[in-house]
Amino acid sequence: MKRLTMIYIALLMAVMGFAQSPTELWARANQAYTDGNYADAAADYSAIIDAAPVITRAYAPVYYNLGNAHFKQGELSQAILAYERCLRLKPTDKNAKYNLQFAQTQIIDNIADTQVFFLREWVTTLRNMLPLRVWMWSSIILFSLTLICLLLFAFSRAIGVRKTGFYLSIIFIICSVIGFANAASLNHRDSVRAEAIITRGIVNAKASPDRSGTELFTLHEGTKVTIHEVLGGYANIEVGNYNGWIPVNTLERI
Amino acid sequence: MRRLTYILIAVCLFPLLGVGMLRAEDVQFRAQAPAQVIVGRPFQLSYTVNQRGKDLRAPEFTDFDYIAGPYTSQSSSTSFVNGRRTSSFQMTFTYTLMAQKEGTFSLPPATINIGGEHYTSNGVKITVLPEDQPQQASTQQSAGSSQQSGGQQTARQSSGPEQGNIFVRTLVSKTKVYEQEAVLLSYKVYVAGVDLKQFTNNITLPDFTSFLQQKIDLSDVQLQLENYNGRNYQTATIYSTLLYPQKSGDIQIEPASFEAVLLVPNQARSRSIFDDFFNSYTTATRTLRAPGTTIHVTPLPAGKPAAYAGGVGKFTMESKISATDVKANEAITLTLTIRGAGNMKLLKTPGVEWPEGFEQYDPKVTNNFKTSTGGMSGTRTIEYLAIPRAAGDYTLPAVQFGYFDTEKGKYEVLSTPEYTLHIARGVGEPTANGQQPTAVSYVNKEDIRELGSDIRYISAANFVPAGENEVLRVQFGSWQMWLLYGCPLVLALGLFVIFRKRIRENADIIGVRKRQANSVARKRLKTAKKLLGEQKKEQFFEEIERASLQYLSDRLSIPTADLNKETITSTLRGKSIDDQLIERTNRVLSDAAFARYAPAMGIKPDELYAQTEQLINDLEDCKL
Repeated sequence: MKRLTMIYIALLMAVMGFAQSPTELWARANQAYTDGNYADAAADYSAIIDAAPVITRAYAPVYYNLGNAHFKQGELSQAILAYERCLRLKPTDKNAKYNLQFAQTQIIDNIADTQVFFLREWVTTLRNMLPLRVWMWSSIILFSLTLICLLLFAFSRAIGVRKTGFYLSIIFIICSVIGFANAASLNHRDSVRAEAIITRGIVNAKASPDRSGTELFTLHEGTKVTIHEVLGGYANIEVGNYNGWIPVNTLERI
Repeated sequence: MRRLTYILIAVCLFPLLGVGMLRAEDVQFRAQAPAQVIVGRPFQLSYTVNQRGKDLRAPEFTDFDYIAGPYTSQSSSTSFVNGRRTSSFQMTFTYTLMAQKEGTFSLPPATINIGGEHYTSNGVKITVLPEDQPQQASTQQSAGSSQQSGGQQTARQSSGPEQGNIFVRTLVSKTKVYEQEAVLLSYKVYVAGVDLKQFTNNITLPDFTSFLQQKIDLSDVQLQLENYNGRNYQTATIYSTLLYPQKSGDIQIEPASFEAVLLVPNQARSRSIFDDFFNSYTTATRTLRAPGTTIHVTPLPAGKPAAYAGGVGKFTMESKISATDVKANEAITLTLTIRGAGNMKLLKTPGVEWPEGFEQYDPKVTNNFKTSTGGMSGTRTIEYLAIPRAAGDYTLPAVQFGYFDTEKGKYEVLSTPEYTLHIARGVGEPTANGQQPTAVSYVNKEDIRELGSDIRYISAANFVPAGENEVLRVQFGSWQMWLLYGCPLVLALGLFVIFRKRIRENADIIGVRKRQANSVARKRLKTAKKLLGEQKKEQFFEEIERASLQYLSDRLSIPTADLNKETITSTLRGKSIDDQLIERTNRVLSDAAFARYAPAMGIKPDELYAQTEQLINDLEDCKL
C-alpha cells in the first residue's frame, strides 16, 4: 500500500512537470511571504497540501502559514479556515490559536453564544486540547494499566500493593473511559465535519431551503456555523441561537 | 489709408462671396397644393424653388383638368442684420387645375434643372370632395343632434341668411375603452358660407372629472376642407385633449359651448357709392354648442400579474448593465428603457432586487414623452445605481414589468435577462493589520482592536512532510483499535485464571493441613500416652517431639525441614503471638529434643506431656 502511494506520488510529480519537493516549495513560499508576495506564498502552501498523500500532524505549520498568507491578503474566511484546520491537526499550536482569535476579531458577526453549561464547555475544551490519536492511545495504554493494577489487586500477597492496585485501577479505568469518549467525540467531529466557515461576504439565511424562503438573518464572511443537514443545495445551519438555511456554496467545511 | 484699402477689397469681393454662398445653399424644390379640393372648382398647384431654375417638367395631370399655367414669379430679398447679409431667392411656377371626379389622387413629383443638375420635388396627395348638394333649406338640421355612425354626435347651429352654416362637432377616437386607455376628444368647427372671425375666451368645457387629462397643443392647426353631410366645409380643430379614464363604467361627458365672432354683411342698402364698392360688415357673436357624449369604460380584467406596474397600452423594455465584472465598492448601473405608447406618466418604477450586500440608491427616472393625437408615447429611462460592498458571485434576478396590452386585451409581462455579477475584492493596500480598508467600516467591536497588533509570524522551522507512523496510524473505531483493547484484556483474563487456579490449589493443601493439625497432634499425644504406660520412654519422647513439630509445621504452613527455633519465633512474632507463649513453644520443643537425645537431663515424661498438651490447646486458641 505504501509502495503504491509512493508510486502514485512519483507519477503525479512527473505529470505536473515540475518536480518540486514539498520542502523546496516550503522554502520558496516562506521567502515569498517574507518578501510580501502573499498571493504566491498562499499558492505554494496550497500546493504542498494538495500534493500531500495524507495530511498528518506534520502539515499543521503549512496550514498555519497558509492562514497567515490569506490573512495578509485580507481573505478572512480562508485564513480562518486554514487556522482551524491547523488546530485540528495540532490543537496545542499557540500561534495558530492566537492568530485565529485575532482573525475572529475582524469578522463582522458578533455571535452571542448560546448559554452553554460550564461543565460542557470544560469538556469541549479538554477534548480539543489533544488530538484524536493521542486520546485514543492514552485510552488504550490506561486500559492496559488498569488490567495490570487489577491483577496486582487480585493476586498480591502484600496488603499495601493490593490496596494501591485497587485504587489505581479505578483511576486508570476512569481516565481510559474519558480518553475513549474524547477520541470518539473527535472522530465523530472529523467524520461528520459539521463545522463550517462562511466564505461569502454577506449571506442571508432563509426559513426554508429555496429561493423564496423568508429571510431570517444575515451572516458575514468568516463566521463559524454548524451544519445540521444539507438539502438541495442548501444547508441547514445553526449559529448561536439562530437556525436557518443558506446556500451550500457560501460556506466551506473545516 | 490702409483701412480704406481693406474696405475696398472687401467691397470688391462681396458679390463673389454672395454668389458662392448662394451656390452653397441647399436646393429646396417643393410642390404645394391644397389637401382637399372640390370637384369643379379650380385650384392652384405651385412648385417653389429657392434658386434660379429652368426646364420645369410637371407631371401629367391625368386626373385633373389643366386650365392654365405655368405662371412664373420670382422674389428675392436681401437683409443685413448686425452686419451680416442674408439673402433669399424664390421662384414659383403656378398651375391652375380643376378636379374632375371625387376621390384621392396623387400627383407624382416634378423635376427642374438647376445649374445643369436635375432636382425632384415632392409628390402631392389631393383629396377631391364632391360638390355641395343642393341645400334642403326646409329640413335643415337645426340645433338638434343627429346620431352618426361611429358615435359622433353633431350639433348644428344654422346661420340664417345666405345658407351660411357653422357648428361644432364633438369627436372621440373611441367610445369603448379600457381603464387607463387614452381617448382623444376634440372639438371641431365646421364653417360654410359664413365668415368666422375668431373665438372669444368665453368657452365652457365639461369638467373631465373621471379622467386624467392631457391637453394637446394646437398651435399649428390648419384649415381643412371636409365634405360633411353632402356639403363642403372649412374645418378646424379648436380644442383637443387626451383623456385617460380613471374609473370604469359609462362616463358621461357634458356638452361644451364656444362663443364665436362672425362677420355678417350689412343688410341695409348702401347710401353711398363707396358702400357699394366696399362691402360693409358687422360682427355678431354666436354661441356654438358641442353635444355631450358617453364613453364606455371597461374595467381591467382580473388576474393582474405581480409585476403589474400600472401600464395600459403597448410597451417594450430594454435593459443595459454598466458592468458585470467589477471590484467591490465600484458602482453598477442598471438602465431600463421602457418604450411605448399608453399612460406613460402613470407607470410605476419596477423594483430591482439587488442581491444582499449591495448598497442601493434611489433610481433616476428620465422621461421623454410626446403627446400627440395618437396618445402619449415616448420613453422612460430608469437608472438604478448600486454599489457592491462585498466580493463574491451574485445573481441579479430578472426585472419584470407588467402592463395591460390594449390590443391583445390581456396582461403582458416583460422581463430583462438575469445578470451574473462577479464582484472582485476591492482595491486598496491592505493595512498593517492585513485587513481590507473596505471592511473597516463594518468592524465596530472597538474594544477588541488594539493598536499595533498583528498576527504572529509564519513558522519558519524546517518542514518535513512526514507521514504517520504505521503503528500509530490506527483508525479510531477500526478492528485494529478494538484489538488493542482486546489483547490486554484477554491476556489479563488468562493470567487471572492461571493465578487463581494455582492459589486455589495452594490454599487447599495448607488449609487442610491447618485444619487437621489439632487432630493429628492429639492422635500422636494419645499414642505417646500409650507408650508411656508401656514404659517405652524413648519412643514416648520421640512421639511427643514429632507431635509438636508436626503441629507447628501444619499450623504455621512451614515445611518441617525449615522448622527451627528462629523460623518459629519470627513466624509467631509476625502473627503477634505474645512472647510467653513463644517461649513456651520453644521450651517444649527443646525439652522434647533434650529428653529424646539426652535422657540424663532427667526430664519428667508426665510433665512434658502435660506441657505439650497445654501448648497445643493454647496455640489452638490463637489466631494463626
